[in-house]
Amino acid sequence: MSHGYNAVGWTPFKKRFDRWMLAGIGLYLIVFVAVSVVAPPDGESFTPIQILIRATGTLAFLLLTFILCIGPLARLTDRFKPFLFNRRHLGVTTFLIGLAHAGLVLLWYHGFSDVNVFVSMFASNPRYDSLAGFPFEALGFIALLIMFVMAATSHDFWNANLGPGVWKMLHMGVYLAYALLVAHVALGAIQFEKHPAYLALLASGVVIVSLLHLYTALASSRIDGGKILNAGWIRVGATSDIPDGRALILQPTDAERIAVFRDGDRIAAISNVCRHQGGPLGEGRIIDGCVTCPWHGFQYQLEDGRSPAPFTEKISTYPTKIENGIVFVNPEPNAPGTEEAPSIIGAPA
Amino acid sequence: MSENDFFIGWADETPRAERRFFLGSGLGLLAGTVAVAGGLAFWQKSPGLGTWNQGAVREWTGVITGQPYAMLRTLDIDGTPKTALLSCLGKCGVAARVGSLEGQSVVVKGSLIQRGKHAMIAVADGMDWIAPSPAAQQVDLTFPDVEPVGPVTLAGEILDSKCWFGAMRPSEGKVHKACAALCIRGGLPPAFYAKTTSGESALMIMTDGGLAHGEALLPFVADPVQVSGQARRWGDLLLLDGPVSAITRL
Ligand code: HEM
Ligand code: FES
Repeated sequence: MSHGYNAVGWTPFKKRFDRWMLAGIGLYLIVFVAVSVVAPPDGESFTPIQILIRATGTLAFLLLTFILCIGPLARLTDRFKPFLFNRRHLGVTTFLIGLAHAGLVLLWYHGFSDVNVFVSMFASNPRYDSLAGFPFEALGFIALLIMFVMAATSHDFWNANLGPGVWKMLHMGVYLAYALLVAHVALGAIQFEKHPAYLALLASGVVIVSLLHLYTALASSRIDGGKILNAGWIRVGATSDIPDGRALILQPTDAERIAVFRDGDRIAAISNVCRHQGGPLGEGRIIDGCVTCPWHGFQYQLEDGRSPAPFTEKISTYPTKIENGIVFVNPEPNAPGTEEAPSIIGAPA
Repeated sequence: MSENDFFIGWADETPRAERRFFLGSGLGLLAGTVAVAGGLAFWQKSPGLGTWNQGAVREWTGVITGQPYAMLRTLDIDGTPKTALLSCLGKCGVAARVGSLEGQSVVVKGSLIQRGKHAMIAVADGMDWIAPSPAAQQVDLTFPDVEPVGPVTLAGEILDSKCWFGAMRPSEGKVHKACAALCIRGGLPPAFYAKTTSGESALMIMTDGGLAHGEALLPFVADPVQVSGQARRWGDLLLLDGPVSAITRL
C-alpha cells in the first residue's frame, strides 16, 4: 500500500453488519410512524413532521446508548468484539439520524417566520436561568456539533494523521455529547411526556451505560500492578501461566500497559495499545505468527512490533527474560518498531 | 471459544460460533427495536383535535378588524355569527395588513384551521387575500360591544392560537414552547387555555388593556402559569384581559 494509513476496508462481515443495521433502523422508523398514526383517539392525529421528529430523535438517542455499551461489553465478553469492528458505521449513521431530527425541528418549529431559524432556536425560549424552563434545544445543538466532528474525523485517514492520542481524546467527546443529550431529553420531552415509559427508558440508558463503564473500569484496575523486582524488571508469571497464542496484560505504575505474548516457545512483550484506535492488543491472539488486534484485526510482528509489509504501523517492544521458568519484562519501552529478540522457553539462561 | 473462533473482521469467513451468536443477537435486537418503537409511539400524549387542510382555499364574507388581533366576523354554516381569527400562512398575524378596510364588510380568501368551535383562516401573502364586499349583508356582522364578565384568577397555559387550532399537533407544553413563542412574537393571537381542578377547560384570547400583548409575554408561553385578570365576552369569543405583571409561574 502506498498511502500512509491503512483503512479498515469492506468485508463480507461488514456488509452483513450494515444490512442488519439498516434493517433495524428501517423497522424502528416504520413501527414508530405506524403506531403514531393508529394510536390516537378518534378525530385526533399527529402532524406527520412531528411524528418524524420524535421517531428520529428517539432512534438517534437509542443508537448512541447502544454504541456506548459496545466498548465495555466487548471487554466483558469476546463475543461482542465484532460489534466494535463496525462501530464507525453505527456512529456515522447515528449522527445522520440526529441531523435529520435537528433539521426537521428547525424547519417545523423554527421555520415559517422571518426570524432566522438559528436565532429562533437559541432565543425563542429565553429561560436560560431556569432548569425546568431551560431551552433544551441548545443542548441538542452542542451534542450534534460534537457528533459531527466525530463523524467527520472517524475515517482511518484522520486517525493516522492526528495520531491515536489526539484522535482518542477527540472521540472521548462522545461522553460529553451523551450527557448533553440526556439533559436535552430530561429538560425537553420528559417535561411533556408524562408516561413512565419515557422516564424509564432515559433512566435505564443512563444507568446501563454508567454501570457497564464502572464495572469494566474496576475490572481492568484489577490487572496486576506489577512489582518492580531486580533492577526494574517486572515479574509476569510462570511461562505456563501464559496460554499459547495469547497474552497476559501488565499495568506498570504510571506507564502504558504491556502485553506479554507467548507463541509456542517464544515469549515477547509489546505495547498493549493498538496503533489503530487503541484496541487492547493483549486481548487479541497470535494468528499466522502475528499479534492480531481484537478490535479491527491490525497485526504486529512479535519480534519488532511492526505490522507485516506492506503495512507500516509500529508499536513499542519491551525486553523480556526467563529465569527458572519465570517470565520478566523490563517496563522501559524500546522505540516503536525496535527489534527485540523473543525469549525462548527452555533455552539456557 | 476455541482458537479458531477468534473473530477477525477482515477475514472472509466468520467463525461458526460467531455467526450463531450474531444471528441470535441480531434477531433479539430487532425484536427489542419493535418493542421500544411501538411502546414509545403508543404512550405519546394524545395529539389533540384540530385540522388544517391547506389545499381547501375558499372565500368568507364578513366584517374585519385588526384590533386587538386580526379577526373576521362571519357566518357559521348554521347561520349564526362566528368570529374567525386570521393569520398568514406561516407564523405571523395579519393585523397590519387590514389597513383602511378596518371595520368594513370584506371577502377574505384562505384555508380553514378548525378545532371544535374555534376557527382561524390562514390567508395568502400579498394583497390578493382581501377585497371589499360587493353585496350588502343580510345579517349585521358588525362586532358587538365587549361585555365584562368579571375578575378571574385562572391556572393554565399560554398557547399560540394557530398551532392549537390545528396547525401543529401536539401544540402544548415544553416541547412546543419555542415554536409558540415564535408564533406570538410574529403577531398570532396568544390564547389562554384555562383548566379548572374539576376538569373543565376554556380557551380565552389574551389582551392587555384591550390591546394586543407584546414581547414581554414571551417568557411565560407554554409554562404552567396562573393569570389574574378580567374575563370578557366579545360575541362568541372569550377574552382574558390583564398585564404581564398579573402572570405568575406555578
Ligand atoms: C440542533 C439540534 C437539536 C435540536 C434543535 C433539537 C430539538 C428537539 C425538540 C424541539 C424536541 C421536542 C420534539 C417534540 O417532542 O415535538 C426534541 C426531542 C428529542 N431530541 Fe432533539 N434536538 C436536537 C438534537 C438532538 C440530537 C443530536 C439527539 C440525539 C442523538 C436528540 C434526541 C432527542 C430525543 C431523544 C428527543 C425526545 C423525543 C422527542 O420528543 O422527539 N436531539 N429535540
Ligand atoms: S484498534 Fe482497530 S485494529 Fe486495533
